[in-house]
Formats: sequence, C-alpha cells, structure tokens
Amino acid sequence: MIKLENVSKIYKGDVVALSDASLEVNRGEFVFLVGASGSGKSTFLRLVNREEHPEKGKIYVAGKDIGALPSWKVPHLRRNIGSVFQDFKLLTNKTVYENVAFALEVIGRPRHVVKTQVPAILDLVGLGKKMGNFPNELSGGEQQRVSIARAFVNRPLILLADEPTGNLDPATSVGIMRLLDRINRTGTTVLMATHDRSIVDTMRRRVIELDRGSIIRDQSRGVYE
Amino acid sequence: MAIKIDYVARETASNLFRNITLTLASVLTVVVSLTLFGSALLLRQGVENANDRFKGGIEFIVYLQPTITEDQKASIQRDLEENPEVKKATFVNQDETYDEFKRLFANSPQLVETVTPEILPPSFRVAPVTKDPAVVQALGETFGAKPGVYEVVFAFEVVQRIQETFNKIGVRFLLAAVLLLVAALMLILNTIRVAMFARRREIEVMKLVGATNWFIRVPFIIEGIIQTLIGAAIAVGFMTFLVRPFIDELSEDRVLPIFQGFVVTDGNLITTNMLVVAVAVLIGAIGSAVAVSRFLDV
Repeated sequence: MIKLENVSKIYKGDVVALSDASLEVNRGEFVFLVGASGSGKSTFLRLVNREEHPEKGKIYVAGKDIGALPSWKVPHLRRNIGSVFQDFKLLTNKTVYENVAFALEVIGRPRHVVKTQVPAILDLVGLGKKMGNFPNELSGGEQQRVSIARAFVNRPLILLADEPTGNLDPATSVGIMRLLDRINRTGTTVLMATHDRSIVDTMRRRVIELDRGSIIRDQSRGVYE
Repeated sequence: MAIKIDYVARETASNLFRNITLTLASVLTVVVSLTLFGSALLLRQGVENANDRFKGGIEFIVYLQPTITEDQKASIQRDLEENPEVKKATFVNQDETYDEFKRLFANSPQLVETVTPEILPPSFRVAPVTKDPAVVQALGETFGAKPGVYEVVFAFEVVQRIQETFNKIGVRFLLAAVLLLVAALMLILNTIRVAMFARRREIEVMKLVGATNWFIRVPFIIEGIIQTLIGAAIAVGFMTFLVRPFIDELSEDRVLPIFQGFVVTDGNLITTNMLVVAVAVLIGAIGSAVAVSRFLDV
C-alpha cells in the first residue's frame, strides 16, 4: 500500500528529516511510528500525503509513484488518504455535522450522499447525538472523534494519524485507539506517529522506530522500546 | 468535477461581508478609476464627432447670414468657383443645416425644438487646393468681409482647439485612470489575500481532504470579479447620468461655440459602458487570480 525506496528529505540548513529510508507497508496494516521529537515521524507522514517532496528516492502509494504525479492530481491522491492531527484542525465556526459534511462537499459529493454518510459516520464514532454542537462545546476526546470522522467519511485506503492522542488524557486516548483499531479492521491501512508508550505496548502492532531520520527498528507486534 | 453554484455563492457572499471595509475601498477605487477612464473615452468620441464636419478635405466653412439675399449668395459662390485656390465648394442650405443640427443634437430634443431652419445659417463648405494653414487662413479671410457672410470657421482652428481641450482634460483623465486602475488591481489583490488569510484554516482542511485547487480558488476569483463589477455598475451610472449630460451641456453652450457638435451618441455611450464593464472584469480577474496563484499552493 505504501512503499518508500531510499527516501531522503533534507530541510533548509541541512536538517536531515529522513535519510535513505526504505520500507513497505501492506494493505490493512496498523503501523506505529515512534522516535524522539525531530526524528522524522511527521515528515514521513507528510511525504506520504505529498505535502512534502523527498530530495531523493521514490514513494509509492497504492502502487503509484507519487513523485511523478502532476500537481493537479494530488487532490485525488489525498481523497484516498485521511489525516488526523494532534490539534484536530476542526473549523470552530461550523457544527460537528458541518465539519464532517465540509470534507465531502468540497470534493463535490452530491448532497444526498452527504446527508446519509455524515450521520452514519458520526454514529460510528459515537457522536450521533452531538451533530449540532460546535467544536468548543465538546471535550478533547470528542473533538478528536469528529476529526477522525472527517478523515474517514470518504472511506480512504490509508489513515495518517500524527500524534492523535497527544493532547488527550490516558482514558480518553484508549477510546480513540479503539476507534482507530475499528477503522483498521475495515481494511484501512493506519499509520500513526506517537509518543504514547502505553498505547504502543498495549496494542502490540508493527512498530517502526526512527532516530534522526533513519529507521533503526522495524518490528511486528512490537513495543515502544 | 462540478463546482456547486450554491456553495460558491454562499462562500463569496460571506467573504464580501467579512471584509466590508476593504471591499468598499476596492469598490470605490474601481468606481473612480473606471469613471475617469470612461469619461476620457467619451470625450475622445466627442472630439471625433465634432471633427466629423471637417471630413473630406474641408478646411473652412463660410457661414452666411440667414437673411442673405440671393445676389449676395450668388456673388460669393462665383468668387469661390473662380478662385484657383479653391478645389471644391459645397453649398449647404438651411434645411440641410437643420438636418445636421438635428443629428448633432439628437440628445437634446428641447434645443432642437427651439430651432427652426430659418434661423440657422446656410454655409459653403470649402475644400482648398492646399492644406497649408497660412494659405487657408488668408483664403478664408478674404470671404469673411464679404456682405452677407456671418462668420468663417477654420477647421484647423476648431480641430486644434477641440484637440487641445481634449488633450488638457482627456489625457490627464486617462493618466489618472490608469494609475487608479493599478491601485484598484493591487487593492483587489490584497482584499483577496486577506479573505484567504481569514479562511486559511478552511483552506488547509480543504487541501487535506483533497479539494481541487480550482475548487478552492474559484470563490475567491469570483469575489474579486464581483467587487469590480459592483464598481463598474456605479461607474456606468455616473457616466450615463452625470458625464454624458455634462458633455451635452458643453455642446449646447453658445458662448463656447467650438464645442458645437461636441456630442456623444447613445451608441458611443453604450460602447464605452461595455468597455468599462470589460475592463472591470479583467481587473477583478487578474487581481484575484494573481492573489490565489501566489498565496494558494498545493
């Protein structure tokens, strides 16, 4: 599903974010990216989404070399990739329903699709009763559920999560992880960058550890350290 | 992918009102610049219309007294025909003058009503052999003193004076208009930029979920065009109800006879207004297109 071949990413001022990284993630896998801050986890995710371009190497998503993709096709790549962030990135002037519906409207989905899909996905994440609330009326965990609903409403092949539990307490984090696990079980490939040791140790999924841009460990059913 | 009209309309409307002060600044600049631009064009067309009388090599017109006797007229005609410096002299009688008058002042029916063919001067339109102003002037003046002659009007004088007047007003208008259009363009660009900044979180989300570039851009470009179109509508109103009547007044002014025939027709006005609208659309489209392409990337 995702393949990196000798990928290097160097930011201005010789900051090496990723150096000669090669790996393959199969369809339906759940992968934790661990490592210290600045080890290249976020860069990894941003490269898959083509928010960044690698200096060297090739990245394949669903069999396609995304470096060769013309920029007007990038939106279509991103429709197959859902993104979840530590800071949720919800629109505060829109309700829960509108936030999720927005993701479908702006890619031109017809209204009847929006009307059926959005309540369904909000039920799935457990927010069926809060569709009319605004984000600031929700708890952090609930806000993250909205952002997951938004990322997943278009049924993407891949879900990228950049420290989705970084702002949440442990109990809430467990709920979010259950949700991501459920999404993974529908066949969606999940890539999650995290610092949360207990989550990684409990879930026992594939763990890729990065250190200053290099992959230093790739372990199935791994632990944080 | 189809872009939904109601989505674009909703987004554009909310953007326009979110930045109401900036929007007003752009719209007002567009109004002033386009009014100046259009006025300069109208003046130029007025000049062309006024100079129409002197087409076909006619260098001066000998206006006769309306009360001229047949003998006096015949004597002048004979002098003109026998003069070797005169290539061609055409007599325009009072009825023809009245027709011309009606054509020139078609926009001022009250004025036409007060005039009858009998009070208008008949005239000889004279095309001399040479175009040398000194010779033409000397030639024309020999007719000025003849009995029954009301006035000799020289083309170079009229054309020159009208053009001088136009140069004074029109060229400055055009220059100011161009400067203001540039200002309008930059204001539109900045208005759109601010609108995009106000909606940067939405734009970020749109990019993340895979909205196409054009889907994100089109509402902003339409916003820019709507701003200039509102400005153009007001400018067209000014031109139609302020500038055009002013030019008509000039042409009716008996004290400044050089403006006689200095008129703009309905056709001139419509063409100019359409041009003004086209320029507005162009300015709006360019300003906002530059803004979105510079500040919105994948």
